[in-house]
Amino acid sequence: MSDVAFPRHNPRVLADDGTELRFCSTCAFSQACLDEGMDKASLGDLHVLVEHVGPFRAGDHLFREGDPFEAIAAVRAGTVKTYVVDHDGHEHVHGFHLPGEVIGLDAIDGDRYPCNAVALDTVMLCRFSFPKISVLATRVPGLQKQLFRLLSRDIGRAALLAGDWSADQRMAAFLIGVSRRLAARGFSANRFQLTMPRTDIANYLRLAPETVSRVLRRFQEEGVLQVERRELELLDRQALEALATPVLRG
Amino acid sequence: METQSIAFSADLLRRYDRPGPRYTSYPTAPQFHAGFGERELREVVASSNGDPIPRRLSLYVHVPFCESPCFYCGCNRIITRDKARGEAYLARLYREIALVADLFDRDREAIQLHFGGGTPNFLSPAQLGEVVETLRSHFRFSAAEDRDISIELDPRFVDADDIAALARIGFNRASFGVQDFDPAVQAAVNRLQSVEQTRAVVDACRANGFRSVNIDLIYGLPNQTPEGFARTLDTVARMRPDRVAVYGYAHMPHLFKPQKQLDASLLPSGETKLALLQLAIEKLAAAGYLYIGMDHFALPDDELALAQARGSLHRNFMGYTTHADSDLVGLGVSAISHVGDSFSQNPRDLPSWQAALDEGRLPVFRGMRMDADDVLRADLIQQLMCAGEIPVAALERRHAIDFADYFADALERLAPLAADGLVRIEQHRIVATSRGRLLLRNIAMCFDRYLDQPAAIATPRFSRAI
Repeated sequence: MSDVAFPRHNPRVLADDGTELRFCSTCAFSQACLDEGMDKASLGDLHVLVEHVGPFRAGDHLFREGDPFEAIAAVRAGTVKTYVVDHDGHEHVHGFHLPGEVIGLDAIDGDRYPCNAVALDTVMLCRFSFPKISVLATRVPGLQKQLFRLLSRDIGRAALLAGDWSADQRMAAFLIGVSRRLAARGFSANRFQLTMPRTDIANYLRLAPETVSRVLRRFQEEGVLQVERRELELLDRQALEALATPVLRG
Repeated sequence: METQSIAFSADLLRRYDRPGPRYTSYPTAPQFHAGFGERELREVVASSNGDPIPRRLSLYVHVPFCESPCFYCGCNRIITRDKARGEAYLARLYREIALVADLFDRDREAIQLHFGGGTPNFLSPAQLGEVVETLRSHFRFSAAEDRDISIELDPRFVDADDIAALARIGFNRASFGVQDFDPAVQAAVNRLQSVEQTRAVVDACRANGFRSVNIDLIYGLPNQTPEGFARTLDTVARMRPDRVAVYGYAHMPHLFKPQKQLDASLLPSGETKLALLQLAIEKLAAAGYLYIGMDHFALPDDELALAQARGSLHRNFMGYTTHADSDLVGLGVSAISHVGDSFSQNPRDLPSWQAALDEGRLPVFRGMRMDADDVLRADLIQQLMCAGEIPVAALERRHAIDFADYFADALERLAPLAADGLVRIEQHRIVATSRGRLLLRNIAMCFDRYLDQPAAIATPRFSRAI
């Protein structure tokens, strides 16, 4: 499906690597490049810092809780799930990281990763050595600003689902959230694939897996969306936005 | 629908009567390979559980035993009168049900259960009831109005009391094998069965509230004549089954050993075969049956005909069904499953199937994962078989292709069929004409990627098209 860019159906264009002066279209730091005041030299510096790693296959771990923290990474292609396992062995999903988003930010505080990161499908990463990018950020104001922006977004997202929301509201907020994030990277806002299994969605939204399906089935019956296997089409965005707005606060 | 009258010249007949798959699946079973095993099956089921709205389940149970051999049979079956073999089989089957059911998330509803064979009524109604109960304890049966429990029955070994017992268990659809009532044909295929016997069980299904009754006929059998087959068709039409299937006999003794017992010199000629088929189409149409496609006819108020009109008809290993988009779970020796974009099959011989279950393994011996091209072609062939047309524009949208470009080779192969008036090529669709609807598999074969490959051509694995 040509208009479903996520995940990309054509493995040959798994990721757009860009050039020294124009980074990948999905890059988390592309905003930094576009900001005024970035000279070619600093762009070059940033690009040299980037280490392209992958592909990782579904189920591969990118890092595990307790691993020494060395780098943050931007997702270039695929979906990464971050999660922890509690003392009783129960998994808690922290979040899903889509192309263009950064993993490892929550490790900056300590010197070890506080969670696990696993590939949900074929994943490619841009890895940035944290000590090196920190040094560069002191010289490049645009980069520093972008780092802070990413950090604050990461904190904000985690707090969204903590409220006392209904299953419909959680589901709508999740779908609108994913849609907006994909749209921000130039992917289709209304037609995309849910690469995460429903148990992960359920865990993340603190719902039972059956509830996830039940809510989606009802949305489908009401003509709000259409589900075909993992593929989703939002048909009545307004209805979903209305449900999601209190959760997403805008 | 267009007029049912069709004229075939002997020349057309020669050109189109060639071996081809029946496309109860695409890719077809010869493409399954041993690289797909237990681990792969677990993966695809887990992935199917992960869908936002996991598909509902269609369950198929294969009962391989028959009390008496029919010489035309191409099914996987074991001839025995030893009822103890049924008990031993069920013990393994229950193990398989437990193993397989465990893979599926509990909220996935079973919308359809079908018993095929062999002869499912080799098992007693009590045994069949036990199988249904066992399945009910492992799968969540849908409470939906259209939930089906269906069974293929041999009228020679079932009576009105049995039908009543099956109805109490929850069976609501039955399919009876008849083939032909002509005594000369019955003698030649070793299957003697009276009209009275058959009418009694069909009536019993009605009396016990079965939702539909199907009767299977076969044309192309030894000793078959247009006169005799015409009488059979009239008799069947008077019984008024909701559905009639008229299969072409495929004589392939190198593949189906039972057929070696059949006297090939008594087989009708190609011209007679075609006359028999035309007779069936005309008689059934005159009796008010609609042609559904690929050998199947139904009364206009039957759910198959209604589903076809709605565009929700679907085709799988059990034939045509109204339950589109379910994952198919095959249980028992030789049974095929279709979960997500995969196919998998149980061993075709009893000892291997038993051995796997005795070791606590899932008894899958081969299968395949479909790639994007397989999924596209399966979609195309499914539409052709069920709606009698290829929805070009819809396929382009669904699969992000340029049809003319993607299928350039196929369209080249299709050109002679268009010239012969089997298909009409329009801008946004390719329509099978009334003549072409009888040769759907020839049309489908143009789009079958695997038929180009030498392995498929070397030995005829498929029956002839007519």
